[in-house]
Amino acid sequence: MKKYDAVVIGAGNGGLVAAIRLLQGGAKVLLVEKHNLPGGFATSFRRGRFEFEASLHELNDFGTKENAGDVRDLFDSLGVTDKIEWLQIPEAYRVIVKSENLDATMPFGVEEFIAKMESYVPGSKESMRKFFDMAEEVRLAQAYSSSVNGNTDSKVMVSKYGNFVRSGSYSVNEVLRVLKMPQRAIDILSAYWCYLGANLEDMSFVHYASMVNRYIRRGASMPKMRSHEISLAMVSRILELGGDVLFNTEAVRILQDEKDGGVAGVVLDDGTEIRTRHVVANCAPHLVFGKMMQKVSEQDVRATNARKFAGRGFTMFLGLDKTADELGIENHNYFLYDTSDSVRQYERMRTIEDNSVQATVCLNRAYPECSPKGTCMMYFTTLYMSDDWGNVKAEEYFKTKDTVANKMIDRFERDTGAKIRGSIEEISVATPMTYARYCGHPEGVIYGYESQYWDGLMPRLLMMGEDHTVRGLRFAGGYSMRLSGYSSAYFSGDISGRQTVGDIKREG
Amino acid sequence: MAYTFKKQIFGFMDLLRFKKLVPNRRAKLAEGSAKPLPVSYRVNETAKILHPGFQKAELTEILLNTPDTKTYVFKTKSPFYFRAGQYLTVGCKVGDSYVSRPYAISSAPKAALQNTVAVTVKKCGFFSGYLFDEAKQGDILTLGDPSGEFCYEPIKDSRQVVALAGGSGITPFYSMAQSIADGTSDFDLTILYGAKTEQDLIFRSELDALASDKIKVVYVLSDEKKDGFEHGFIGADLIQKYASGDFTVMMCGPQAMYAFADKELAKFHLPLRRIKKEANCVGVRDVADKKYKLTVHMGFTTQTVDASASETILTAMERAGINAPSKCRAGGCGFCHSRLVVGQFSIAGADKRRLADLKFGYIHPCCTYPDSDMEIVVPKA
Repeated sequence: MKKYDAVVIGAGNGGLVAAIRLLQGGAKVLLVEKHNLPGGFATSFRRGRFEFEASLHELNDFGTKENAGDVRDLFDSLGVTDKIEWLQIPEAYRVIVKSENLDATMPFGVEEFIAKMESYVPGSKESMRKFFDMAEEVRLAQAYSSSVNGNTDSKVMVSKYGNFVRSGSYSVNEVLRVLKMPQRAIDILSAYWCYLGANLEDMSFVHYASMVNRYIRRGASMPKMRSHEISLAMVSRILELGGDVLFNTEAVRILQDEKDGGVAGVVLDDGTEIRTRHVVANCAPHLVFGKMMQKVSEQDVRATNARKFAGRGFTMFLGLDKTADELGIENHNYFLYDTSDSVRQYERMRTIEDNSVQATVCLNRAYPECSPKGTCMMYFTTLYMSDDWGNVKAEEYFKTKDTVANKMIDRFERDTGAKIRGSIEEISVATPMTYARYCGHPEGVIYGYESQYWDGLMPRLLMMGEDHTVRGLRFAGGYSMRLSGYSSAYFSGDISGRQTVGDIKREG
Repeated sequence: MAYTFKKQIFGFMDLLRFKKLVPNRRAKLAEGSAKPLPVSYRVNETAKILHPGFQKAELTEILLNTPDTKTYVFKTKSPFYFRAGQYLTVGCKVGDSYVSRPYAISSAPKAALQNTVAVTVKKCGFFSGYLFDEAKQGDILTLGDPSGEFCYEPIKDSRQVVALAGGSGITPFYSMAQSIADGTSDFDLTILYGAKTEQDLIFRSELDALASDKIKVVYVLSDEKKDGFEHGFIGADLIQKYASGDFTVMMCGPQAMYAFADKELAKFHLPLRRIKKEANCVGVRDVADKKYKLTVHMGFTTQTVDASASETILTAMERAGINAPSKCRAGGCGFCHSRLVVGQFSIAGADKRRLADLKFGYIHPCCTYPDSDMEIVVPKA
């Protein structure tokens, strides 16, 4: 029987990093992935003469060599940064809420961002500066928390990171109101909320501040060969370090120790049994506790049932046979909303009928050579805040998909004035069914568990220790302690990988 | 001076609130339902109908369409669904080899919801020969996932589709015609269907019965001159005769037909988005025969098998009895995505790999010919 120190289930962003960390810690590692490619959502696909990015809009908190973000630091220590060719995203975002005459294009750099905001909303400067100061303190507090694996000293927290602690229990809107930020500035600043998938009354301030701060302060990056380049770079690193990787191989069961109920092994889809005492699961606890393990404690069942799925994904990919200039696509990253009231917007995002929010990217605006000369490509993403796609029968599926895709094209043309419909050479659409198929996520969820007030970033980080309920089982990826998104998933793999190295060492 | 955040009059109350984050979440988690977690979800169940993956199916009926073409009807265990124009692989063990081939589905999408699917196969090679001569009712074969993009795409295609079909290339269009007739799809389909002689026409009576204001079929015979049929090859003049204004061309047929059609279509100056071509399987390479060693790592096993310069390394694996993944056999779908450890190779046709695959040394065995001994890592099928 094959024996490993640890098995990593799922080669998504979290699983890939966890595998590297385990190998760096001296463990013998098997990584299994049910799809034939690594990366989970971090991949690409070809259609005609285009190679589409499957999911990455930009990699947050990467920065440059001179102004390195935490993700770059992580990639450096994993030994993968130089395996990837990076390019910088030119500007932060453009937000359009046509019904409210809001149309703002925001730059990278804290000073530049504050100045641009002041030009749109005179009198916003002071509150914006407070926001970024607090946000930087959040980042430093998180770095401290990570460095001590979540075992923070409350004296240190209060004395060095007081604002972080005092704001740590509030929602985004609660804090921004205390800062007396003008509503218009709040609307522009919070355009990014749909990337985190919870409305601003429910989303914890520190979570949002942490992300926006990293994004604006460090800029954002993109691998030239789409996120597939990152995923293959990680696999190549795993192989260099002596890890084993199996694709088209699903882990169907986690075997449990008779005595302590902890991990004893993993059964693969062809019946192969792997002996191991450690698993890092880069998948939903719903799947692990719902079907991969036989004996699950009532506590784990209750805790898993208590959690709420975050957004289910929908993305349309277009390859266009004209350039962005010719089509009138001016920006890299657009957010198009019906209203800047995120609570109302969130409600509208529950159903297929009402949802017409989109986050849209034209990759050529960051990397003009990403598609053949004379062409450009775009991707349009939205989220569904309920299981409405569960109501769509197979026979209605293709029509429903086309209806949503058409709505996205119309909306983009109407809000931006660009004309794209007549130039579509390739189109591909991914729905919750697509995400369910490739990554196995329940309901086609792409954002893990929702960052609801009670289950936000802070309480998850603070409870990392007690969430570890099964000996030898740790989680990585969008469902785990750092929540969803590329950088979060990478960090979760880093944390769970290192913790598992510790677990192995303690066992001797 | 650094800003001090304070929401409540007394800052310590903000601290107390922070301290409650943990007990609060602990309580919420404990309040969750104790009933067993779901084993599946509606979206995931629908995804299984849309993408059933590999499934065993019983061959329930074999129909002889023309002297060298048969339709194989399968019954699947579960309902599934696809888009008219897609293909699936049919495979089984032949002798010691695992073999499968992609075939366009000739039945309607709706029939698959009733567990029925058919492919129509012309006898022309190893596996089609096996099917033609050996397969019988009651046999259990493996069907692959419905795949491919050779479909009418309402968002980008013209409502007017001109289909150029050569020989057994009629099959995806027959499925499309059925899906228009039963209301699944909505577009105007004009099929220019080329065959050598009248008796080589597949689905003649079925297509005639489907003719309507949306479906028109024109038969084009190259080796016969007959009333009621066009004569010759499908060229610009014929297309002009039956289509005008904005139209999308979809073609499915042998390579020779494509070469001719490409030349003829150039006269229309159509943009790329108006032309779709179904890819054909990669065949043998016309080179001096040379033998190489192919080392294959799959799962925890390694074996070394013979490979021939004239055949793809996928074929080499199949000949050796290795159950390697394959779907399109034309280099495009990426299903056979494998890692090259060492070796020289050539790719049949255009390189359709992802950019990072080139950089990190991944190949698609279905379109890769060996130019030296090779060592590869292949995921299990």
